[in-house]
Amino acid sequence: MTTKTGDQESPQASSSQGDQLSVKRAPPPETPAALQTRFRVIAAFWAVIIFLGFPIWWKTTSIYRASLPIEEMVDWADGKACRPVFPLDIHLATPSMQSFEAQHLLRTTQHTLDDLNEFAAHHLRLKLTNGTTTAVHNGEDNLEYPAKETADTALTVRLLPQDGLASPWSELHAAATQLDIFYPPSQVPVPSSSNSPLSTFIAAELQQLYGEEKATIAHILSGNTAGLDSTSPQLAEDIDRRLRRSMKYAETYHLSFSLFTPGSEPSSWDIEAAVKEYVSPLLQALSPISNFTVDTQVQLYANFAPTAPKPEYDESEAAWTLKKEGLSAFVNAAEWPLNPSIGNGPTINFILYVPDPSQSPLIVKENRASSWIVPQWGGVFLLNPPLSNTGEQSAPSNPSHLSLDSLGPAFMTFSHQLLTLLGTPSTPASLPLRLQTSIRIRAASLLLSASSTMGSLARLTKSLPSIPIPATVATSVSTTLSHLSASCVHLREGRFGAALASARVAETEAERSFFEKSMVGQVYFPDEHKVAVYLPLLGPIGVPLVVGLLKELKRIAARRKANGAAS
Amino acid sequence: MTVLSLFSLPFVALILSLWSSSAFASSDYHEHLLLQPLPQSSLLASFNFRSNTSQQSFDQQHFRYLPRALGQILQHAHTKELHLRFTTGRWDAESWGTRPWNGSKEGGTGVELWAWIDAPDDEEAFAKWITLTQSLSGLFCASLNFVDSTRTTRPVVSFEPAGDHSAADQLHLLHGTLPGEVVCTENLTPFLKLLPCKGKAGISSLFDGHKLFDAAWQSMSVDIQPVCSADGECVVQIEQTVDMVLDIDRSKRSRSNPIPRPVPNEQLVCDTSKPYNSDDTCYPVEKTSEKAWSLAEIFGRSLNGVCPLTDFDGSSDQSVCLRVPHERGVFISEEANEIKKDDGFTRCFKLAPSVPFDLSIPQQPANTEVPLDEPVLHAERTIVGHGQERGGMRIIFGNPSNTSAVDFIYFESLPWFLRPYIHTLHATITGHDGVLREVPASEIVKETYYRPAIDRERGTQLELALSVPAASTVTLTYDFEKAILRYTEYPPDANRGFNVAPAVIRILDTAHNVPIYIRSTSLLLQLPTPDFSMPYNVIILTSTVIALAFGTIFNILVRRVVSLDEAAALGAQTLKGRILGKLVAIRDRLRGKDTKMD
Repeated sequence: MTTKTGDQESPQASSSQGDQLSVKRAPPPETPAALQTRFRVIAAFWAVIIFLGFPIWWKTTSIYRASLPIEEMVDWADGKACRPVFPLDIHLATPSMQSFEAQHLLRTTQHTLDDLNEFAAHHLRLKLTNGTTTAVHNGEDNLEYPAKETADTALTVRLLPQDGLASPWSELHAAATQLDIFYPPSQVPVPSSSNSPLSTFIAAELQQLYGEEKATIAHILSGNTAGLDSTSPQLAEDIDRRLRRSMKYAETYHLSFSLFTPGSEPSSWDIEAAVKEYVSPLLQALSPISNFTVDTQVQLYANFAPTAPKPEYDESEAAWTLKKEGLSAFVNAAEWPLNPSIGNGPTINFILYVPDPSQSPLIVKENRASSWIVPQWGGVFLLNPPLSNTGEQSAPSNPSHLSLDSLGPAFMTFSHQLLTLLGTPSTPASLPLRLQTSIRIRAASLLLSASSTMGSLARLTKSLPSIPIPATVATSVSTTLSHLSASCVHLREGRFGAALASARVAETEAERSFFEKSMVGQVYFPDEHKVAVYLPLLGPIGVPLVVGLLKELKRIAARRKANGAAS
Repeated sequence: MTVLSLFSLPFVALILSLWSSSAFASSDYHEHLLLQPLPQSSLLASFNFRSNTSQQSFDQQHFRYLPRALGQILQHAHTKELHLRFTTGRWDAESWGTRPWNGSKEGGTGVELWAWIDAPDDEEAFAKWITLTQSLSGLFCASLNFVDSTRTTRPVVSFEPAGDHSAADQLHLLHGTLPGEVVCTENLTPFLKLLPCKGKAGISSLFDGHKLFDAAWQSMSVDIQPVCSADGECVVQIEQTVDMVLDIDRSKRSRSNPIPRPVPNEQLVCDTSKPYNSDDTCYPVEKTSEKAWSLAEIFGRSLNGVCPLTDFDGSSDQSVCLRVPHERGVFISEEANEIKKDDGFTRCFKLAPSVPFDLSIPQQPANTEVPLDEPVLHAERTIVGHGQERGGMRIIFGNPSNTSAVDFIYFESLPWFLRPYIHTLHATITGHDGVLREVPASEIVKETYYRPAIDRERGTQLELALSVPAASTVTLTYDFEKAILRYTEYPPDANRGFNVAPAVIRILDTAHNVPIYIRSTSLLLQLPTPDFSMPYNVIILTSTVIALAFGTIFNILVRRVVSLDEAAALGAQTLKGRILGKLVAIRDRLRGKDTKMD
């Protein structure tokens, strides 16, 4: 610096900013043409960056997110979009009553029912019918999906006069949706009276018949916490336990029946006949709710897990006993081949365990039971067949073949366990009624679960802005929502079969949209990675560009100021 | 060839006898173990388990002997016939003779799978094949899910369906190999679970993962096929085999002290006729006596009775057989009976149920030896050449027979990154006289089926129908080029090399009507391996080049050209100039202070 100043000392130095710089000669001002060229160059570069580079970068790095009806989805999850109601049509058949009498009985009974009902979403609607026709076809057809526009008939009540009765009594058909009520002819209500013992009796009967269902639905709708106030704690606990035990709803269930034994015998069973006799009729009845596949296997040399508690001999019972708390370790999941069946849908396992002759008979210690349910998994039955002494001095052995008769109790238990695992209520006694109830319960729980899946999906898309949302998810969501509302309408109009069908579709689509694979595998680029890729390019290029732009802006601003001052 | 037929192989005889006697019972179970000492103190143990289930109960999913897991996989994938092989090691054909089961129950090193799938067209068959491989992968804990389109071939003449299939099925044969798969205990455990007696009773109780995978050669196989009788009644048959060649000395080492120790000096048997024989120099003589061994020593456990499911008729109650000369003494457990067969070498044992069985052979001088059949064909395949870019394949076929030529199919499935040049296929032949002659390949190769590879989609499939004249050795060679893979396509151990699946040789043996298979060893192909920090280097290098070019052009375009003294004057006005000016001023002031202090 100092040498420079020494060299270039000149008297014409015009600058007066500092002592050392006073000697320098300033260059002539730039020509306007040069300034304009520079301006154009910088503008051209920036135009390319803004109009070409930036859009390309945006396009190539952006994530496709189909638009979802977030508001609607959240509404469904919050229960604002639909309040499920369960109006049950009950037909009153009064073959031996006058029309006006029947009308009056209907009115008073309906009135009593409405007074008794404390859960508005579930109510019984009485209708008069000429009892001959409906009673006939009720037994079979009710389980099929009904014709589109008519509501399902939940129950037919037939009123039959019977002489010599002091008070009315009822009889529920076990295999049909029919309730026969026998009443003394004297109790036919007179039109003037507002109440009558018969209508009170009918109302009480119906209330009792649907008590458990009502409590269950209230339990489901209220989110598994509080049910109805009137529900007894015992019933509430039962419902809660059943709901916890039952399998998640699925379109298809695989039933797997397995014979396990620690030795080599028995190695065969009359399984085809047993399935045909005990399981198939039940599956036929359950077919409107779900599809079922059945497979069976025989597994020999199936030992307990080494960590499982061993059976202990109980002198007083003269039997080998398993402790109740040890039952959870009974199934040796590591070694027993109980892998789920291939295909969609969960597998329900039923295990028929024949203990070793040296440990026979085998029962549960606390309650002498021979079967139990593994919640959401299946059931176990301990079969203690009569031992046979083949040789004189040899140890007793199990029979090598289990006949249909010996399998009977086990398969009765299995069908009961199947109903429990599917969430069918324990009352009333009529199986068709229970299955109807189960349709309504399933429809309600599916509706809720699909709605809450929608809510979760909405929350997920809001909270993770970097996940892609493919168009298929949007389609699935709209299918779900339309089926949800269809299901809601069906429920309101009492078509429960159709409501369940819609709810099934909604649930499937909701699950499909939530578990969409391309959403799960989101592109993950950590910020360090971005810096490592972008910086080597953007640094050396960006700095001259930005500096050039700033200089130019400064120059333009200075000229503006100068122009302003001059004018 | 005649030699072969005279010493009727025990395997062939066994298969045929079992086939005819009881193959058509609706539901049954057989198991069989053959033990045969081999030269060089080896022991071949050949296990076979076979069970049937009727087609009807198979379709209705009532599983008894057929494992449910496998049956459901087959139904789900519409697979009519399935062959699965897990193999490790190498069969030493020069000293051990022909392969067990004529090679039909073994696979190439690693895992090999082929299946006939019922599907209307090729795409659907492939989709089912993928389902099948994925499911089997889970069942057998093997990496079968890596059998993708590049590892799948559709052989044309190399395999024939072994089962009886109905004409209505549109069957597609698909074949996949995983030469790099390490077969280990985790594959044996699910294999054992498929057996009705689960390794708890019967001959399967001898299985021990430590011994099985310590063998010099072992092969596990699962075959499922429909078998129909003449009257149209069909059963689904599952056959599982395990063949292993154990080194007797190695297997007898105790589990607690498995480290091999040198034989103490005084126990060494030396050839004293050697001139250099002294106290510290020994030429060991080959032992003239057969080694002593027992089941418990070799397998580490004793045989746990019989599997009670085997039906006690005819041959199947003699589930353990041993092939040693009849004059050799064999000690067996008390309850068992020994039955000597007429051929002079085979003896079978009738076991008592639920009583442990052991057999032991003392050390004895070997006067007669069990004759071993010579293989019909020797085959050897190697990669030749050098460099990272090109290589060559050399396949040597030797026909030991002096009388007859041998016809066979040679099947090779090559990975797509190995690109063969079939026009370079050359053949040389060495005849009786030992003179090497170059012959046109068409003289040896009767027919060719070649399906070229498509990069990243499918591999090369090459099937050749060959004929090797009597007492000749034919060498086939061809050149190939090694492809360069994409960065992400390299495995973590890229420098180890890439496995090339073994070639399959199917000998067209019309005399026995039983197919004979030979598999070559698998090969290791070295590919050019990049430096894996490459992408970042590329990014940085290209960025630098672009930045350099851009910076230069941009500066030329926007900079103002001034003379040097003018630049100095301008420089004073810029930020840099002002900062420099301030710095100088500060420095001067500090110096001024310093002088005052002094």
